[in-house]
Amino acid sequence: MPPSGLEPTRMNRKKGDKGFESPRPYKLTHQVVCINNINFQRKSVVGFVELTIFPTVANLNRIKLNSKQCRIYRVRINDLEAAFIYNDPTLEVCHSESKQRNLNYFSNAYAAAVSAVDPDAGNGELCIKVPSELWKHVDELKVLKIHINFSLDQPKGGLHFVVPSVEGSMAERGAHVFSCGYQNSTRFWFPCVDSYSELCTWKLEFTVDAAMVAVSNGDLVETVYTHDMRKKTFHYMLTIPTAASNISLAIGPFEILVDPYMHEVTHFCLPQLLPLLKHTTSYLHEVFEFYEEILTCRYPYSCFKTVFIDEAYVEVAAYASMSIFSTNLLHSAMIIDETPLTRRCLAQSLAQQFFGCFISRMSWSDEWVLKGISGYIYGLWMKKTFGVNEYRHWIKEELDKIVTYELKTGGVLLHPIFGGGKEKDNPASHLHFSIKHPHTLSWEYYTMFQCKAHLVMRLIENRISMEFMLQVFNKLLSLASTASSQKFQSHMWSQMLVSTSGFLKSISNVSGKDIQPLIKQWVDQSGVVKFYGSFAFNRKRNVLELEIKQDYTSPGTQKYVGPLKVTVQELDGSFNHTLQIEENSLKHDIPCHSKSRRNKKKKIPLMNGEEVDMDLSAMDADSPLLWIRIDPDMSVLRKVEFEQADFMWQYQLRYERDVVAQQESILALEKFPTPASRLALTDILEQEQCFYRVRMSACFCLAKIANSMVSTWTGPPAMKSLFTRMFCCKSCPNIVKTNNFMSFQSYFLQKTMPVAMALLRDVHNLCPKEVLTFILDLIKYNDNRKNKFSDNYYRAEMIDALANSVTPAVSVNNEVRTLDNLNPDVRLILEEITRFLNMEKLLPSYRHTITVSCLRAIRVLQKNGHVPSDPALFKSYAEYGHFVDIRIAALEAVVDYTKVDRSYEELQWLLNMIQNDPVPYVRHKILNMLTKNPPFTKNMESPLCNEALVDQLWKLMNSGTSHDWRLRCGAVDLYFTLFGLSRPSCLPLPELGLVLNLKEKKAVLNPTIIPEAVAGNQEAANNPSSHPQLVGFQNPFSNSQDEEEIDMDTVHDSQAFISHHLNMLERPSTPGLSKYRPASSRSALIPQHSAGCDSTPTTKPQWSLELARKGTGKEQSPLEMSMHPVASTPLSVFTKESTSSKHSDHHHHHHHEHKKKKKKHKHKHKHKHKHDSKEKDKEPFTFSSPASGRSIRSPSPSD
Amino acid sequence: MADAAATAGAGGSGTRSGSKQSTNPADNYHLARRRTLQVVVSSLLTEAGFESAEKASVETLTEMLQSYISEIGRSAKSYCEHTARTQPTLSDIVVTLVEMGFNVDTLPAYAKRSQRMVITAPPVTNQPVTPKALTAGQNRPHPPHIPSHFPEFPDPHTYIKTPTYREPVSDYQVLREKAASQRRDVERALTRFMAKTGETQSLFKDDVSTFPLIAARPFTIPYLTALLPSELEMQQMEETDSSEQDEQTDTENLALHISMIESHSVTQAGEQQHNLGSLQLPTPGFKQFSASVLPTRWDYRRILELRRRTPLSCSRTPPCQEAGMGRKTSSITLICGP
Repeated sequence: MPPSGLEPTRMNRKKGDKGFESPRPYKLTHQVVCINNINFQRKSVVGFVELTIFPTVANLNRIKLNSKQCRIYRVRINDLEAAFIYNDPTLEVCHSESKQRNLNYFSNAYAAAVSAVDPDAGNGELCIKVPSELWKHVDELKVLKIHINFSLDQPKGGLHFVVPSVEGSMAERGAHVFSCGYQNSTRFWFPCVDSYSELCTWKLEFTVDAAMVAVSNGDLVETVYTHDMRKKTFHYMLTIPTAASNISLAIGPFEILVDPYMHEVTHFCLPQLLPLLKHTTSYLHEVFEFYEEILTCRYPYSCFKTVFIDEAYVEVAAYASMSIFSTNLLHSAMIIDETPLTRRCLAQSLAQQFFGCFISRMSWSDEWVLKGISGYIYGLWMKKTFGVNEYRHWIKEELDKIVTYELKTGGVLLHPIFGGGKEKDNPASHLHFSIKHPHTLSWEYYTMFQCKAHLVMRLIENRISMEFMLQVFNKLLSLASTASSQKFQSHMWSQMLVSTSGFLKSISNVSGKDIQPLIKQWVDQSGVVKFYGSFAFNRKRNVLELEIKQDYTSPGTQKYVGPLKVTVQELDGSFNHTLQIEENSLKHDIPCHSKSRRNKKKKIPLMNGEEVDMDLSAMDADSPLLWIRIDPDMSVLRKVEFEQADFMWQYQLRYERDVVAQQESILALEKFPTPASRLALTDILEQEQCFYRVRMSACFCLAKIANSMVSTWTGPPAMKSLFTRMFCCKSCPNIVKTNNFMSFQSYFLQKTMPVAMALLRDVHNLCPKEVLTFILDLIKYNDNRKNKFSDNYYRAEMIDALANSVTPAVSVNNEVRTLDNLNPDVRLILEEITRFLNMEKLLPSYRHTITVSCLRAIRVLQKNGHVPSDPALFKSYAEYGHFVDIRIAALEAVVDYTKVDRSYEELQWLLNMIQNDPVPYVRHKILNMLTKNPPFTKNMESPLCNEALVDQLWKLMNSGTSHDWRLRCGAVDLYFTLFGLSRPSCLPLPELGLVLNLKEKKAVLNPTIIPEAVAGNQEAANNPSSHPQLVGFQNPFSNSQDEEEIDMDTVHDSQAFISHHLNMLERPSTPGLSKYRPASSRSALIPQHSAGCDSTPTTKPQWSLELARKGTGKEQSPLEMSMHPVASTPLSVFTKESTSSKHSDHHHHHHHEHKKKKKKHKHKHKHKHKHDSKEKDKEPFTFSSPASGRSIRSPSPSD
Repeated sequence: MADAAATAGAGGSGTRSGSKQSTNPADNYHLARRRTLQVVVSSLLTEAGFESAEKASVETLTEMLQSYISEIGRSAKSYCEHTARTQPTLSDIVVTLVEMGFNVDTLPAYAKRSQRMVITAPPVTNQPVTPKALTAGQNRPHPPHIPSHFPEFPDPHTYIKTPTYREPVSDYQVLREKAASQRRDVERALTRFMAKTGETQSLFKDDVSTFPLIAARPFTIPYLTALLPSELEMQQMEETDSSEQDEQTDTENLALHISMIESHSVTQAGEQQHNLGSLQLPTPGFKQFSASVLPTRWDYRRILELRRRTPLSCSRTPPCQEAGMGRKTSSITLICGP
């Protein structure tokens, strides 16, 4: 059933009642996953799953499950062989033979393909037919047990194998495997209902080598050795109902640490790292205590496991009772910088344990609630752990991020509601991807989505108070835990799912407040608010005339109507005013409390009650205003541009105690390069009580100001004397003290100051010699022998400082860069970099921070023309086998090189890496970096932009990345950045006139067929991908790569195909195309055994014939009947007449009907492709009679 | 009899072979003795009734006699030392003769035989003086509890410490300067060496030697090198306590350190390296590149264990001398240990 048909009913239901109605005609209660063989050498997995389901409708005869990449050998329902069809339309979104190259078309097709298998719409890749013997059984709504044998060979997604190529057994080599993926990706490694809303209990069994440990969800019931004692089986039981998407697995030779503070918590890490693990996790129990206390709820699972693995997909992945972390988060006690980051990750994962794993979501549009709550309680933890300053700083940072993103890209919609499926209603028409489904989202968008979600949660807190907020959470949790203990009442389990409406209802029940306007503004609408503020002081009336304008016409903005807090600091104190922002009132009069006449020698009270002395000489004698702040509490998602005089910003910086205000004023002061600003900034720098991050940003601001004032600047370079005073020896001011990082605040300042200083420029726009010498001296005299902490980050920052000091080389008529004409300063810098980089080889620093900085610095030198621009060095560092941080830094340099030097070769190298690198994160990251720093953009002329590249990228997102949602979306992002939404301009005009009208998405359908399609098949209109596939036999890419990537046969969904087929027949087609179309269509119809039995290597999946449109819904299509039973021994011919039901007549009828029409084309085709003829010969036969054609394994070659 | 023979042979100087004039007094001395022995042999032959003898047979007999006497002397000395004396007594000789199977009782009768020829004692030649070893200072006399027959003390320079270190430099600036440049030199030398001996990359195509970069080598398990603290850091972690350091103690430590470097740098090249190593460059660095022989960091627990056994202290051990020695041994252990 097409999503369009389903969505409205779901929406109605959501408005109507709070109960959860499953989109599936059955209820899953229990699932067994048994993996009895894992081969690290071959990277393969063999096992079976058993799902226990209760039909909820009487006539259930098909069961749809999710499964990707798995070979399904055999399906049995209650011990009876069952026929099944495996069809994954997302493998290839648009047919490779299509000449279509416009992104609009692709995005629609992709969204359609994803929803065609979306479990939340009741769909799935695997469609199992209930044997007719069981129909009676089903009618009585009795239990069905579905047993599926599957295997997985060299999975490209879902499960990631890390097998280092050293000597020794797998355990000695530290080989491990873990599940990974973005959103619901469990279908990649075992067949399941891959939805967050289908909960069941679990039994998980993994048989692994005796030296390995299998970590999975739930309680470890027992481990049983096999008879030969060489293997053992881990039995896990998860009695709390959990969605398949929250099931995970990690197997490896882990070292095990039972948490000394909480015995139910166990930590796992790779060999050798135990000391680091001990230190890293020693903090975790405090996070537990915090969450349990604020939520007044025990941790819902009986145990918790943390696993630290290499080549992680994401830094933190939370699953039911288990979190998978990147091993790179581990650190020793000597590392300062990583510690807070790692702790944050731990806290984040734990917050998601409560909201995300234990409490799951009803549908994708409810995702924001979970992300919001987990992000919000994580924020509370931050506030408690790192203090209010850090918390407010973080909120500000997140707010800035979301504001920047939305203003740049367009709004982020938290709660998308899709009504009717009409294009006009599309809430995300500004985006180049669909937001209907998590798997179509750009990764960056999803990051921002999470960010916005927790900010909105904070807005709700502002509205209803934290106490109520926590009560709501507690209510959700206690409902869920009651439901989870109902072992035999699976209908109760839906209480463990959270929905937007349910959440809002809880809020109104608990708080009694109406937050509907707030929700409407931030959740149901996208966009942020952009304020422009300015003021005038009316002396006569003693009134502040504040003007606040809004920009709500630019993309990503929205209009704000409602209260807005304004804080005015006057001589007599600080006063809050709540203004009402309305449609047409811009001006607001705020009466002032104090007289402008200054009361000499009187202390000025601040907002926090503190009274301070101020030097008021700078201020305007007529006005009592010290500074004004708009929306100081960040209770609107907004960007404020406020105009006030420089002295007001300076007062704000010096005396306002809120870190956000201080930061805002630092940002504003950049525009006022005056000695007064300079003084204010230096004072802040020296003030120990001031928040260290503020001081750090003051450094950079000071550098900017100094550069603007370069002609009038007196005294030593900015910050130099300050640094000397703070960090150098008393007796010899040019020598820095030996390192002592006991005080973290001064450590961070010490790190940052030289970096900022290096940005100083003299009148010739060069870095002053004095500064460079100073930095070189810092490096020279750096002495860490007596420090308790590692100085690797500090040294890395010193290299960054050196890089910052580099200015473009003075080049005389483009001479070649050689050593001889090297600038002496650069020579010194290069000397340091060489030494550091070489020392790293002998004595590596933590996470190779120094290598990373060195690589960046070398790229800076290259870019500035001091060193010949050459990517060879970076390419060697980007190889697999280097630490991931180094690789990313090197790749970044290569990406930059590609852009600056417009190198086609490097671009190819990068694209090749995107396709072939073993580490998913690196592949994702390259795409990401290419998108951020593109070699060219849409409207740019570039030699790189050619047809081959378009084809290559198209192929990458179309089929090359089908194993990883995130990667595919990344490829889409890149394609969008390079070519935009419409057909890339570098392509020649389409010859056939078929794809001319591309502006509107719907127009890709030939107008002649739309009425027919709508009439005949509802989904056609909704499914632009039902556009004809053009057989791209000349496509150079379709043959080579794709076939290697997917090594299982796919059985095509005949329903979609045939309806599509019919459409095509109605269409006036060009002769050149029609020649091939029938043949390809037919071959797609050949019943193929799905996977597993693929014994002949020549039998490749037929890529080009993959169906774009798989709008299979609940409705029983007569054409379903090309389903075929699969024999237990895959190769044997197996005929089961019983499968052909009463529908079969209908089915045959259809086929015959259009077979006739196509016959003539077929003959032509045969002549042309004689080499194909053997296989094709069979086609008519199989086609006309699917039942008898089961033995033919459709080795139809791709054209 | 040895005595007798010796005294007997003492006469008869300047006989046949005296023609050769030897320059060396020691040689003269020995030649004279030998000649005396020949005289003794000749007279014994005469006694036995020989009229003439070939020179070769006389020489052979002389040689036999000499070895016999030497053997008696050697054995007698052994017996005397066996009984913890330095001077052989008559009884030692007797025991020796008995041991050699000589009937001692026949000796007095033989001495009183009638046809005995009397040989004149050899002329008194000067005992050759052994050249005096260069003495440095006065030999210490034996302390009262050691009997005088025990050997004398060796020359004082062989066992008494010679204080050679300079006044420690205490100027903070100079010290820091020195520490920094020394470390820098070592680092540079080491990296250059590494770059010379291994594969390199260069930023300049035309010149590969000025800024040689050691080639990037992928690891099989990259996270281990990246995450595990280096051994140097481990050591620091153990050593460093959380006490606040002030500039004063800092200076002292540093001064100590530098002075140590200097005092040892003259004599002990190897040691110097270790001292420097403790500045920044640890010996474990060597482990890195001799991975085939020594364990790599992969085997990090063993190294840790080793480190605990042999604390490699650098800056926190006040007595200069001992610290130097201690480090020497421990660093050697570190190199050869694992």
